[in-house]
Amino acid sequence: MRHGYASFLLAHCLRRFNGERMLAAVYHVFSGKKSAQTLQDSKWFQLEPLFGTWKNVTMAALEEAAMALVEQRLALSAKQRTYTLTAAGEEWLDKHAALFPRHLNGWRYHEAEPLFWQRLSLIGQTLSNLVHGRRFAPICRDERTLQWVKQYLLAKGSRQMLAKTLHQELVRLLEAVSEEAATIFTLRLTSAVRIGWTMEQIAAHLQKEALYVQFQFRNVLHYMMAEAEVGRAPMMAELMSGLAPAVLTQSAQKTYEWLRKGKTMEAIAEIRRLKRSTIEDHIVEIAANVPGFSIAPFVDDEKAAAIRAAAQALRTRKLKEIREALDGKVSYFEIRLVLAKEVGRWTS
Amino acid sequence: MDELTKTLYRRFGHASFRPGQREVVEDVLAGRDVLAMLPTGSGKSLCYQLPAYLLQGSVLIVSPLVSLMEDQVEQLRRRGEKRVIAFHSLLDAEEKWQALASLAEFRFIYASPEMLQSAKFLTALRRVCISLFVVDEAHCISQWGYDFRPDFLKLGEIRRALGAPPCLALTATAPPEVQEDIIRTLGMDGARRHIHSVDRPNIALCVEHCSSTEDKAARLVDYAKRLEGPGIIYFSSRQWAEETARRLDQCGAGRVAYYHAGMDGEQRLLVQQQFLYGQLDIVCCTSAFGMGVNKENVRFVLHFHMPTQLEAYVQEIGRAGRDGAPSLAVLFYADGDRAMVQAVAEAELLSPRELHNWCQRLPQGAGWEAAMAALEAPGFTDIQKRLLAYFLEREQREMPGWLTAEAKGRLYGRMAAAIEARRRWKRKKLQEMDEWVNLSSCRRQALVRAFGEELTGRRDVCCDRCGLSLDGYGRAVHRPEAAPVRHWREELWDMLFGEGRTNEAAK
Repeated sequence: MRHGYASFLLAHCLRRFNGERMLAAVYHVFSGKKSAQTLQDSKWFQLEPLFGTWKNVTMAALEEAAMALVEQRLALSAKQRTYTLTAAGEEWLDKHAALFPRHLNGWRYHEAEPLFWQRLSLIGQTLSNLVHGRRFAPICRDERTLQWVKQYLLAKGSRQMLAKTLHQELVRLLEAVSEEAATIFTLRLTSAVRIGWTMEQIAAHLQKEALYVQFQFRNVLHYMMAEAEVGRAPMMAELMSGLAPAVLTQSAQKTYEWLRKGKTMEAIAEIRRLKRSTIEDHIVEIAANVPGFSIAPFVDDEKAAAIRAAAQALRTRKLKEIREALDGKVSYFEIRLVLAKEVGRWTS
Repeated sequence: MDELTKTLYRRFGHASFRPGQREVVEDVLAGRDVLAMLPTGSGKSLCYQLPAYLLQGSVLIVSPLVSLMEDQVEQLRRRGEKRVIAFHSLLDAEEKWQALASLAEFRFIYASPEMLQSAKFLTALRRVCISLFVVDEAHCISQWGYDFRPDFLKLGEIRRALGAPPCLALTATAPPEVQEDIIRTLGMDGARRHIHSVDRPNIALCVEHCSSTEDKAARLVDYAKRLEGPGIIYFSSRQWAEETARRLDQCGAGRVAYYHAGMDGEQRLLVQQQFLYGQLDIVCCTSAFGMGVNKENVRFVLHFHMPTQLEAYVQEIGRAGRDGAPSLAVLFYADGDRAMVQAVAEAELLSPRELHNWCQRLPQGAGWEAAMAALEAPGFTDIQKRLLAYFLEREQREMPGWLTAEAKGRLYGRMAAAIEARRRWKRKKLQEMDEWVNLSSCRRQALVRAFGEELTGRRDVCCDRCGLSLDGYGRAVHRPEAAPVRHWREELWDMLFGEGRTNEAAK
């Protein structure tokens, strides 16, 4: 690929943002920023797969990727730090659509993924060394994982059986992804015969970019976790125990519980000693994530209809523009609530 | 076989002590304070691990590096020791507090100096019978230690708070003035000293003077291609380490990887383990690599940039030849290196202007907490913060009260003086390093003299000044090819069923 994988990922985001967000918003999505704004952006612009999937991204890397797109006339710099794709950019992105890691689900898995991988790789290493009859130094130093794996193996009994189960399950899961992704994943594993390779080493071996390899690897992990959650990978499901992600952030979850007990926003803010604006963020988060949550108590139907109409007429999700169109008669909170509910009905 | 050797055999599987260990162990068991300076790779940790099985109560080990602590915990566990725990910042809070309740059950309690600042932790420790207080890498105690760790300076107080248990201070590299600092800080007057030579006879020393940085890079690559591995190459910057690793890889110097603190923990551990298990020939790294890497057969250590002082150099080349076989240390030097290394060394020191601006911005009339809080604000590096926090704490004791305009002025003056003193000291150490590089007489003699020793007798193989042939260090003509990567199905099969090719990773 001529323009680098960072440019490809950025182009994907630019298409979704459609000029309505600055480059920093892309940065926040990749790094998985837990702010109300970024959480909502990820939902509204359907960037959930990428949320929190590139934790060490830098603004400099994104700027460089943006420059590369502009130089190739694949994107235009509309305003300061805001870019949109050109027709050529759209075409280029479509042509390379296959490069997008289609199982990626950062929204759901970015927090559970590191621990899941630690467990999986340590169990692989341990079983491999048991089978080969060797002593070894664990490839993971995280005390939580070491304890967990120890308990797990003790509870399982036969190591031979478990090795066989793991082998079967991994083969079946890897057969469902590309040959390249299966190779990347396998090379990352540590066994009794080989210490796992680093992303860079795999990239050099396959003559690909390290970033690309990293996303392919993550793609496989997320696929495995998803299969585990729908009951098609029983051993992976066991490795996920206690890691299954919550739908809401912890703090929003608490607010949600108070709401269900019938407390008002003011009362919750008082009880939890939080600012009203924080409670508002929580409620928006709940509206976007909990199906069937009614926003009627927070915004009356008439206003909600007006906001919906304005948003549709203006074809925008910019809060300020919507508010101005309605002569400032609605609050930002009300607009955010309505838009949060609308997620899913807006397809680009 | 006497009791001590029996225990050594039973617990550690060694039939005899290595030089220096027995004397230290005996003094420790006799309840004496001990300062032991043993060369890297001589089995320092055994000096407290063995007594732990013979003393009543727990042994507390203070260690400066999380990775070092983890390595030792891991090694102990592999020997079947269950009663071991490590307290450091990376531990889960919940886990920590759980373990505190049953602290006395542990034979080995590892702790970072930062953890010992916690009142809660200290209270729990006071309920435990500490039979030995061990300070690993004790040169950090000296404020003139090359690794500045202010929390180490408080270890004397902590030892007293724990009822002054017998103390064992371990280090590989401490010149006489640092030894004095260690003894004073830990309050161990009358300690037995077991000081072993820093000289490692099987490591040949060599300096290559180059005409430019480019020349240096070319010569380094040439050496790396010709020398028998495995080897370590040190750089003072991450970027140089990465770039050279790529260059070496491309020119077929073997299996090469880089290692520095900018990588995530997993990738670092992978590189370290690959090196240990013989999957790599060369690691290009910064000084972050090496502590806790117990690899016996490292054949060469190269330095693309000289370290900021001789102590660090001795530590780093000491990772070669632990098996006692002939090994080589080469330092590459070009004009301009000294200025470059000085800049790296002094990056931790604020300029007078930066310090002045920072002092100016402190809220007038506030308390000292405001000054401490202000350390977080303006993008200081971790080491700058550590250094400033240390100076601030010291000044707070000297001049309690509020930060009036006058107090701020005095604070600036005193902190500027402290920073200046550190700058002068660093330059002196670098000067020493630089002189060693440009020496015309025996390098080995000069190296041991810096540690207050004299060399006795002549070595067959010594240094470039005494005449050194590199013939014996060349690569064997046939070197094993890296095992080819097979299809992922076969790799998985090998991994979990163990039939197939012979073991690449076997040592």
